[in-house]
Amino acid sequence: MKALDIIKEANQSLLRNKLRSFLTILAIFIGSFVIIISTGINAGVNDFIDKQMNSVGGEGYLEIMNTNATQQAAAMFSSEVQEYSEEEEEQNTDIFITEEQIEKAKKIDGVKSFDALPSAKAEYLQLVGKDKKIKVTNINLVPRGNLNMDLVAGRKADSDSDNYEIILTQEIAEAFGYKGDSLDDILGKKIYLAVPGTIKCYTVQKHSDCQTKVEAEIVGVQAPGILAMTGSRVNVALWNKMSEINNEGVPKENTLAVQATADVDPDKIDDIKKEMEDIGLTAMSLEDEIGSIKTFFDAMLTVLKIFGGIALVAASIGIINTLLMSVQERTREIGLDKALGMSNGRVFMNFATEAIFLGFWGSLFGIIVSFLIGKGVNFITHETILSSLPSFQLIIFRPLDLVGITVVIMLIALLAGVLPARKASKKDPIDSLRYE
Amino acid sequence: MPENLLTVRGLHKVYGKRDSKFEALRGINLKINRGESVAIVGKSGSGKSTLMHLLALLDRPTKGEIILDGTNTSKLKQRDLNKLRNKEFGFVFQQFFMNANDTVLNNVILPLKIAGIGAKERRRRAMHALTIVGLESKAKNKASDLSGGQKQRVCIARAIVNDPAVIFADEPTGNLDSSTGAKVEETLFSLNRDKDITLIIVTHDEELAEKCNRQIRISDGRIESDEDLATEREIEAEIAAENEELRKNHKTGDMDADGLRDDATVSHVKVKEDK
Repeated sequence: MKALDIIKEANQSLLRNKLRSFLTILAIFIGSFVIIISTGINAGVNDFIDKQMNSVGGEGYLEIMNTNATQQAAAMFSSEVQEYSEEEEEQNTDIFITEEQIEKAKKIDGVKSFDALPSAKAEYLQLVGKDKKIKVTNINLVPRGNLNMDLVAGRKADSDSDNYEIILTQEIAEAFGYKGDSLDDILGKKIYLAVPGTIKCYTVQKHSDCQTKVEAEIVGVQAPGILAMTGSRVNVALWNKMSEINNEGVPKENTLAVQATADVDPDKIDDIKKEMEDIGLTAMSLEDEIGSIKTFFDAMLTVLKIFGGIALVAASIGIINTLLMSVQERTREIGLDKALGMSNGRVFMNFATEAIFLGFWGSLFGIIVSFLIGKGVNFITHETILSSLPSFQLIIFRPLDLVGITVVIMLIALLAGVLPARKASKKDPIDSLRYE
Repeated sequence: MPENLLTVRGLHKVYGKRDSKFEALRGINLKINRGESVAIVGKSGSGKSTLMHLLALLDRPTKGEIILDGTNTSKLKQRDLNKLRNKEFGFVFQQFFMNANDTVLNNVILPLKIAGIGAKERRRRAMHALTIVGLESKAKNKASDLSGGQKQRVCIARAIVNDPAVIFADEPTGNLDSSTGAKVEETLFSLNRDKDITLIIVTHDEELAEKCNRQIRISDGRIESDEDLATEREIEAEIAAENEELRKNHKTGDMDADGLRDDATVSHVKVKEDK
């Protein structure tokens, strides 16, 4: 009997009991579907994170906070009851990055630049010579070093320059009326940032009297992405100017930075992080930040895959049951096959092949349905919750994953088929052909 | 001089163990020549079916040996026995045993499929076999659509599709009325006549047995009568001589406690020359 005959026969046998085979395949499908979808999401998330990492580059980019600050943030989420200690409190309250720390940090081997950033804020943006004002909810810094910006127009703001430069988000540029082909026209335009003086604003009648308009040049437009969610970005010179205006009249010790950015040698990043820890600073690379997102997804998807695995175990019991019934029903047929010279091995093979094909069809069914649902989900999420992230495909199917999953499911099915196939192969032809 | 096909020496078959022990065959000796048509006749429980199963190599004897075409089958591995059955034997059963949902053609093809013959060749041979039994027009029909007589003729086609040396037929007309039964008989005997296929029919139908050129009557696991009793005696004498030889060589200790071939003595066989 040839391999092709065995395969044909196995599928014909499955077709003979359509409903029973279908239900068994359905059980396998549920397991395979869950696993394929979660693998697809896994691939989608990883792919997106990789793309983000590539577009940002930023291997030598560190964000730094006083370790006390991170601990305090952590303590806010802790329900642990602690005894009050004045000493500890004095030590810990200092969440600012001190001059001393800055000096030490700058001397660490491999640190190319270290910018401690006192807070800075602006209230609105207004193109010079235009009326339209756009409210600023968040503004960020373009750090020194090789951090790439995912730009749709223009260039990165130069943090080593003394000129005031700003990169707008695509949404803001569009709000000013620069869309599509005209997006490039916004480059080089002057824009006002309305920067408030915190103390001054307590003293004036009209709020606009405490705002200082700082003129900057628009040098780039940033594409939507995870890192763009934090808003428009300015260079170091503009940031410092904004901070200066914000803190006018505030005692020097209260205007210290909470956050700092550093550009460091990527090869020494781990050592640098350790050394910063020694001087009371916590440094996080982009990878650390994205890594925590990844860890969350990984954990979620692992749980999903476990559910899929459990479904497959249940499905393989279904396979055993289906095939045992089949062996029982086909006792006579098996007897005849054997009388006509079919070996035990072949009988075993026939049933094992049936099991394998139950797995194969279940898996294929899973792939097709996952594929369709994946397409639908990708389409819907693009239109809704992920509309700001056009490069993010939530579910990606990699051919190698699909082949791998199918092979594993076929192996599980084969394993389930061993018991019934053995039972069939052990049947005695004379007993099987005895007529009652 | 007729060519010997099957030789059976001192065949025993015991089912069960200890208390439930049942001796179905108690020392069968016989020779069957190529081209013979042999009826194995006996009441139910006489051991005739067991004998057929052993002759057809579907089961192994407890003691004794079957020599097919010069090959001692007791020395063959299961794998080779399967091949031998597939190549040399055809089977026709009282209950047909067909895959009812499959086509007539596919039912006939089955032995060739098991033998691993290519799709085109096996189709050709199956159509030829169907032509011989006169059912080539039914090739595409579902097996369940046929009448009983037609079904049995399809089974005969299946039995001859691999050009066997022997057809074993177990009550081939048992499930058929006399007129369709007659047609099936005719098909079987014409194969025996024209193609020189040895026919071994197990039956309790005296009329069918009469049509064979030799009747072997089985009773209580022994041969009660046979036209060729001389041969049997010859074999018995042979076995007795071999046993004597073994005893002389002091090898009795190696043998079964019961004495391997004790039963193979003439005194144990009831001789009835007449039917």
